[in-house]
Amino acid sequence: MTSLSVRRAASARRARRERREHGRVTGAGPGRWAVLAAMALLAVAMLLPFALVTLNALKSPADYSSNGPLGLPHGVHLDGIVQFWQRVDFGEKLLNSLVISGSVAVLAVILSVLNAYALGIGRVRGRLWVLVLFLLANTLPQEALVYPLYYLAKAAGLYDSRLAVIIIFTVIQAAFGTYLLAAVLGGFPKAIIEAAAMDGASRWRILWWIVVPISRPTLSVLLIFFFIWTWNEFFLPLIFLISNDNQTVPVVLGVLQGEKMMDATMSSASALLGIVPAVAFFLIFQRTLTRGITVGAVK
Amino acid sequence: MSSKGPGTAFAAALAAAALALAACGSSDPPGGGGGSGEPRTLTLWHYESADSAMGVAWTEAIRQFEAGHPNVKVKVEEKGFEQIQKTAGMVLGSDQAPDIMEYNKGNATAGLLSKQGLLTDLTEQVTKRGWDKLLSPSLRTTARYDERGVMGSGNWYGIPNYAEYVMVYYNKDAFEKQGVKVPTTLDEFTAALDTFVKAGITPIAVGGAEYPAQQIMYQLALSKAQRPWVDAFELYKGRVDFHGPEWTYGATTFADWVKKGYIAKDSASLKAEDMGVGFISGKYPIMVSGSWWYGRVAGEVKNFTWGSFLWPGNRLHAGSSGNLWVVPEKSKNKDLAYDFIDITMKKDIQNRLGNAGGVPVAADPAAITDEKNKELIENFNKLTAEDGLAYYPDWPAPGYYDVMVAGAQELINGAKTPSQVLDEFARPYDENLADIGG
Repeated sequence: MTSLSVRRAASARRARRERREHGRVTGAGPGRWAVLAAMALLAVAMLLPFALVTLNALKSPADYSSNGPLGLPHGVHLDGIVQFWQRVDFGEKLLNSLVISGSVAVLAVILSVLNAYALGIGRVRGRLWVLVLFLLANTLPQEALVYPLYYLAKAAGLYDSRLAVIIIFTVIQAAFGTYLLAAVLGGFPKAIIEAAAMDGASRWRILWWIVVPISRPTLSVLLIFFFIWTWNEFFLPLIFLISNDNQTVPVVLGVLQGEKMMDATMSSASALLGIVPAVAFFLIFQRTLTRGITVGAVK
Repeated sequence: MSSKGPGTAFAAALAAAALALAACGSSDPPGGGGGSGEPRTLTLWHYESADSAMGVAWTEAIRQFEAGHPNVKVKVEEKGFEQIQKTAGMVLGSDQAPDIMEYNKGNATAGLLSKQGLLTDLTEQVTKRGWDKLLSPSLRTTARYDERGVMGSGNWYGIPNYAEYVMVYYNKDAFEKQGVKVPTTLDEFTAALDTFVKAGITPIAVGGAEYPAQQIMYQLALSKAQRPWVDAFELYKGRVDFHGPEWTYGATTFADWVKKGYIAKDSASLKAEDMGVGFISGKYPIMVSGSWWYGRVAGEVKNFTWGSFLWPGNRLHAGSSGNLWVVPEKSKNKDLAYDFIDITMKKDIQNRLGNAGGVPVAADPAAITDEKNKELIENFNKLTAEDGLAYYPDWPAPGYYDVMVAGAQELINGAKTPSQVLDEFARPYDENLADIGG
C-alpha cells in the first residue's frame, strides 16, 4: 500500500465523517432534543408515583391526615414499614414469591423452547393454527379462567397450594413464550442446523447444543420477563393462595385495604416493600434486557 | 448448555413442588371434646386491623378462649377484605375452609352463602346460649336469612359483635367561630350550613365517588320516612315508590344542597378517604359518615376539638349491625367456634370493644370510661332505643352500590334531574324484586 493511497483513504474517511457530523448538527438536532425532552418527561411521569409512595411511606398517619398526601413528611417515620413487615411476616411472603416466580420463569422458558423448537424449526404441520391458538389463549382474561381452574385444582387436591399457581402460570407464560420464540426461531439460520445435521447430530442434540446456546439472549430476556410478570400477578394468586402461609407479595399488600378504611401511610410503606424486589431484580438484569429480544446474526 | 441443565431444573422444580405440597397439607385433627384431651387448632379468619376496636377486643377474646381451652391453639389469619369478598364462596366450598370467620352482613354476601348451604345454621346455639337476647331487633335483622337468602327472617347464620351508624362529625372550633350551635332539627342544621356558606366555607366534606354521598341522600330521605318504608325498601315487605315523598325529598334536597354550596361541586370525584382527610385536616367543618371513622378521627385530629351528633331531627339513621361471625358448613371444629362466639359476646369483651372506640352490641355503658367513646355509645343506645337503624341504601339489590354512586354523582354534577336519577334507582330495584319473586 502506498502512502498516497493511505492519505487518500484517510481524507475520504475524514470527508465522510465531516459529512456525517454536518448532517447531525443541522438535520437531526432539534429532533434529538425533542426526543430527549419527551424521554425526560416520560421518566418523570414514571417516577412520580414511586416518589409519592416513598413520601407517604415515611409519614406518620397523623401527619398524612393533617397535611394531605402531597405534603412533605415532617420527620422520617419508619414505623409503618416495620409494623407492616412484622404484621404479615413479610420475609415468608418474599420467599413464596421467589419460589413461585423462580419456578415459573424456569419451567415456562423450558416449555417455550420445546414448543418453539417444534413449531419454529421443526415446522410441524398446522403450526400457524397452533400459534393462532396460543395467541388466542393469551388474550383470554384470567377472570374467565377462574372457575374452571378452581374446580380442576380442587379435584387434583392442589387448591390452596403454591404448586397450583406454579403450574397455572407456567402454562400461561409459556403460551406467550411459545408464540414469541416460534417467531424468533422461524428466522433461525438454516445453514447452521443443516451443518449440524450433516455432522450427525440428533434433533435433541441440535436443540440443546446449537439452538439454545445461540438463542440464549432471547431466552434470558424471556426468563426475566416471566419472573417479573409472575411476581406482579395478583388475581389468580388471590384466588388460589388462601392460607396466609402461602401468599405472595402482591396478595399480602391487599391485607391493608379494609372494607371502608384504608391506612394510607401503611399502604404506601407496604407498596414500597412490594416494589423494591421487582426493581432490584430488574436493575440486576437490565444489561441482559438491553441486549435485545432477537437472536444475533450468524457467527 | 448441556442436556444436564434442564434436567436439574426439572428436579429443582419438583423439589419445590413437593415442598409446596407438604406445606399446604397440614389439616386439623377431627373434632372431639372441647375441654380436655388431644391438642386441637381453631382456625379463625378476620379482616380487622390489630389496632382497631374489633382487633383489640378479639385479641383479648382469643386470650380468654385459649385460657379456657388449654388444649386448643387459635390460629388467627388476618385477611384482606378483597380476598374474602372474591374468594369466600370458593374457599367455603373446599376443604380449606376456616373454622370460624368474619363475613359481611347483607343479602349479597352472608345471604348468598347461606342460600348455597355454605354456612352453618346457628339457630339452636343462639337460643341455647341466649345470643338473641343480647341483640336489639334491628341488629337481629342482618343475622337471619330466609331460604331466598333475604335478611330479616328465617334461620340465624351469623352473630354480629359490633354495630355501626352514620352520624355527623363536626369541628367544634369552626362552629364556635361562626357562632353556630349543635343543631337539633333539620331546619337548624340547614341554617348552620347557610352560615358557613356565607362565611365562604364549604361546610360538608363529601366523597362523591364512594359511599358518603349516597348516605347523605339516604339520611335526607329517612327524615321523611317511617319504619314500614324502611322494611319495604330493605326487606321487600311492601312496595316502594321511588317517586314517593321519601326518595323525592332525598334526591331533590341533595341536589339543592349542591346548588346552595353546602356540598362542593368538585366532590363528585373524591373518595371516602379524601373526605376523611378533608375533615381531619380542618378544611371542612362537617363530615357525615359512619362510626367506622371514629377511631381514626379520635387518633388523628390534632389542630382542633371535634365532636359528633346524630343527624338532627331524624328518628331513622343509616346504620346496622357490624360484620358477622359465621361458621362455615365445612368447619371441622364447630363446637369450638360456638364457644369462641360466646366469649366475644360477654360483657367483658364488649366493654373492651367500646373502650377501644367501637360500637359494642351488648356492653355496659357504665363500664365505658373514655368520654368520647361514651358519647358514641350513648348516641347509639339512643338510636336503638327508638329502633332507629335503617341499614344502607345500597343493600336491596346486587350491584346497587354502583347505581347509587352514579346517581349521587349525577346530582352533584347536575347532569341529571332528581326525577331522572330516581328512575335509575327504581329500575335495578324492580328487576331484583322480580328475580327473587318478591
